[in-house]
Amino acid sequence: MRDQIRNQKSKIENKISRRAFLRLALLAAIGAVGAYIFKSTEPVGLGKMLRWLWRGQTARWFAPKSRVALAACESYDANILAALRRAWRDARAPDLNNARIVLKPNLVDFIAGYPTFTHPRVTQAMIHLARELGARDIIVADGPAFRRDARAILDATGYTEMLAREKIAFVDLNYDDLVAVPLVGGYTRLKSLFIARTIADADVFVSMPKLKTHHWTQMSASVKNLFGIVPGIKYGWPKNTLHTTGIPVFLTELVESLPTRACAAVDGIVGLEGDGPIFGSAVPSGVLAVGTDLLAVDATCARLIGLDPARMDYLDFASWVGVGAIVESKIELVGDALAQFARAYERPPRPE
Amino acid sequence: MFCSPFAPSGFGASIANSKILSIDALSVVGAKHFAQFSEMLRPYDYFLLTIARGRGTLPAMNTARDFLLHAQNADGGWGYRVGAMSFVEPTAAALIALQNEKTFALSGVEERARDFLIAHHHADGGWGIAPLDAESGWMTAWAVLALARAANASAAITRGAQWLLATEGLRLTDPGARATTRQIYQIDSTLRGWPWQPGDAAWVHPTALAMLALIAAGQREHTRVREGAHYLFDRAVATGGWNIGNPWMIGKAIPATIHDTAIALRALHAVGVAANEPRLATALEFLRDAATRAHTASELAWAMWGLGDWSVEIGDLRARLNALQNEDGSWQGNPFTTAIALASNNS
Repeated sequence: MRDQIRNQKSKIENKISRRAFLRLALLAAIGAVGAYIFKSTEPVGLGKMLRWLWRGQTARWFAPKSRVALAACESYDANILAALRRAWRDARAPDLNNARIVLKPNLVDFIAGYPTFTHPRVTQAMIHLARELGARDIIVADGPAFRRDARAILDATGYTEMLAREKIAFVDLNYDDLVAVPLVGGYTRLKSLFIARTIADADVFVSMPKLKTHHWTQMSASVKNLFGIVPGIKYGWPKNTLHTTGIPVFLTELVESLPTRACAAVDGIVGLEGDGPIFGSAVPSGVLAVGTDLLAVDATCARLIGLDPARMDYLDFASWVGVGAIVESKIELVGDALAQFARAYERPPRPE
Repeated sequence: MFCSPFAPSGFGASIANSKILSIDALSVVGAKHFAQFSEMLRPYDYFLLTIARGRGTLPAMNTARDFLLHAQNADGGWGYRVGAMSFVEPTAAALIALQNEKTFALSGVEERARDFLIAHHHADGGWGIAPLDAESGWMTAWAVLALARAANASAAITRGAQWLLATEGLRLTDPGARATTRQIYQIDSTLRGWPWQPGDAAWVHPTALAMLALIAAGQREHTRVREGAHYLFDRAVATGGWNIGNPWMIGKAIPATIHDTAIALRALHAVGVAANEPRLATALEFLRDAATRAHTASELAWAMWGLGDWSVEIGDLRARLNALQNEDGSWQGNPFTTAIALASNNS
């Protein structure tokens, strides 16, 4: 009996030695991990995922710091131009000499009593600064998300009067001639995107958002403001394709595929907290933020209003693929100190 | 003497004469700045000034027609600005507006517009927004609506209507997601409407437009059209009217807008909903009230277009709209807005 058992054992040992078993187990584990990675990266493909990872890590380690300038400006009656001039210089923002520039304020909608839009005096100051710096053409443009008639919003927000005074044309980007722009990142199912010709033909594009909380993205600043360049006639009102495509990936795609040199000048003189982007409350922050890396500007704005950029999906993703910088060590803050303006904004209500 | 940059050179001489005569009176206040100035006036003043300008409805409409004739692009289409690229929407709207003009020889213009639309009809039966857009979308409804009254377009209309019937807004099937949507937006996400683009959710504007197109194509009794009416009522703002299609958003009511309300009212009228239906009555009330406060040409034109089918008092709306007409006969220099204004004046 004992011999029989010994024989059986010996047969098994002959079949799979301990070393062979360990090898097999190792191979199975490698296969399982490979299958898991393949499955979890299937929507985009492993190769693409590795490329993004490589680029993101390279940017994190080797890219130069992004520069963001903050300038104090306590109210819309103060000297906004002086503050903006200083921030523009500190941020080493683009040379505007002989340039065709498009200023894109946030004119998402007008609802009486809610400061949803970039204040016209900030845009006016930017017009003056652009003239000082020798801009050849200055255009103010936006494509509102909720209404087909931008003119009603321009009238209600005071832009019509300001633009007439400054003799500056407004282009409704919802109805502009279009150009198809290839989407270079490959983060969405879209291969190309129509955008307004006015944007594509500009030398410099200045995103001029209102600093706001936002119930989908936590914050709306220079990147979310780019939704306005996407034409309503193609993508509808409220440009739903961009939401169904996935807001973080689409915003990343927009920043990366923008055919024009971009920079940001954020109106944080009076921000909007709570139920943003429309129904929030006014909150004085007394600051203008300027920079050429839109992600770095937004990450700085997030810190200004008490948010962690790494916990904001669009910033986290865009930074992971190396489109811009969001970590403090990769952002060179210049001008006035961030702590001077930092104030935790009331969070927007989140759907349960 | 005022001279329009769009003064007709070859045809429409009688129209041109009436236009110049009608604008003579304008010089007393400065023709160049009249449109801008008139935007700042109170409603009552609009009426008086319209009389003072010698612009009754008919001469104003003549110049609008004139503007449209000369704003047509060489490819037969219209853009949203003079000289801008042709899009399906302004082309269809201009064609509809001009189809109402029976006193003028328009056949060449109509034919070129129709040919533009047919030339850019996609193989799948739909239309993109412009020749450069290969993907069919919401402007299919505009094309069908415009071609429904054009000659030799029946095949295109049938295929366009089929495309519309095969297209529907994204619907939620998961009960949990449906409940969440109900909670956040207070809408029924199982109803089929029409999206701006295939693959998106349904919205008020494309839904109403698709309903109008299908009715024009003889599909008034189709279940999709009936469901479209249910969709519109589901998306109505509690205080009256419609916005893009979100009557409610995380605890806040989103206000209605003139444009969305106008097109929804036109669609529901075409379906045959009675004016005494309570939600319709509040929508009509909203639009009439909003129109009294509106001051842009686009808002006034759409408000009048939306109210035009219903037997409701529109007050001085027509006079206020006409007072905003530019020297060149357009509204806002925009062929699309001009077409809606012209169509609304004729409705």
